[in-house]
Amino acid sequence: MNKKDLLPILFAAGLTFLVTKPVDAHHAFSAEFDAEQPIELKGVVTKLELVNPHSWLYLDVKQPDGNPANWGFEFGAPFSLKQKGITKASLPIGSEVTVQGFRAKNGKNFGYAVTTILSDGRAVKTGGAQDAPGAQENPAQ
Amino acid sequence: MKTKPTQRPTLPQTVLLLASSVLLLALAAHNVNAATQKIPRLANGKPDFSGIWQTTSAADYDLEPHSNRKDAPPSAGVVEGFYLPYLPKALEQKQKNFAERDKLDPALKGYTLGVPRGIYYPEPFQIFQRKQDLTLVHQFGHSVRTIHTDGTGHPKDPYDWWLGDSRAHWEGDSLVVDVKHFNDKTWFDRAGNFHSDALHVVETWTFLDPNTIEYKAHIEDPNVFSKPWDLSVMLYRHREKNFQLIEDYRFTLDYDEHYPPKPDGK
Repeated sequence: MNKKDLLPILFAAGLTFLVTKPVDAHHAFSAEFDAEQPIELKGVVTKLELVNPHSWLYLDVKQPDGNPANWGFEFGAPFSLKQKGITKASLPIGSEVTVQGFRAKNGKNFGYAVTTILSDGRAVKTGGAQDAPGAQENPAQ
Repeated sequence: MKTKPTQRPTLPQTVLLLASSVLLLALAAHNVNAATQKIPRLANGKPDFSGIWQTTSAADYDLEPHSNRKDAPPSAGVVEGFYLPYLPKALEQKQKNFAERDKLDPALKGYTLGVPRGIYYPEPFQIFQRKQDLTLVHQFGHSVRTIHTDGTGHPKDPYDWWLGDSRAHWEGDSLVVDVKHFNDKTWFDRAGNFHSDALHVVETWTFLDPNTIEYKAHIEDPNVFSKPWDLSVMLYRHREKNFQLIEDYRFTLDYDEHYPPKPDGK
């Protein structure tokens, strides 16, 4: 194969490299969530996944038109949640919770949960990413 | 053409036939005993599954019978009754999974394969066994699974584990493992056969001879299947000289070219 034949192949390979986004694995807060878009949503729990590396809480949130929209919130790792008293029993399906956090950069119904207020009024820091704004306790407070 | 009428055997013939049958049965039983008596055992007398094992089945490509495809060798299937008893809505999901299997298969993302898929994924895994547990180390995806044989039960406040929670007991020389508390992020095979987080697996591990394990799995998932179903595969011991597991960790492949950072920054 001469150099001339090789050029289109190299071009195609280069293009493939440019448009292929690396698979996201375990990540930092800023890779997926937007610190400029804080949100607070009240909803009814539809599913709690206590799964490594991040747990997820799914809520049905009432929209202005009255229909529910399902939102997913990233939580911390199951073990850190357990240390804070969060198990499947404390977040049962059908219970009402309020989540304060940040919205996903992709604009879909996903977010990062910083604080979750349970139906018994308990507020729990639920985030897992070390660099999430507000995820850490403020020693001055 | 005239055929000779069949003659009834005489009494001596019948006696001879019976005697030889008994002898053959006794020989067969003796062979089975000889094979099972030679299987490796722990100090406490229980069968010792330690070693490196691998399936030769095409189960990971598709559990159900299938002809050859560009992405799969053909197979008669490994499921009792041949086809999985999907609920109608779940069957639709399976068909969608199948159509997009080259994108959606969790194994392509490097995810932990789950149970039972990790067992019949066509790459080796290693078992380390003590009297209180078995540790299964899979070559694929850094998965490590513990099967407890110390008589403890499933936890009361479980997580949704990738490999479930495994508690086992012995039935004769068979290890029977109860596995539950799964998440819903793994598949049974590359053909899109799937489960929910209600999956419950009961495995039976039995030596057929010192180098062959018959592996059976009884699968229940009321969210996906109309009734429980069973699969069965053989696992063979690796006996090659210097055979070893080599890690197969795929999350990092996309970043390999950047690591380690080159001194000239290129």
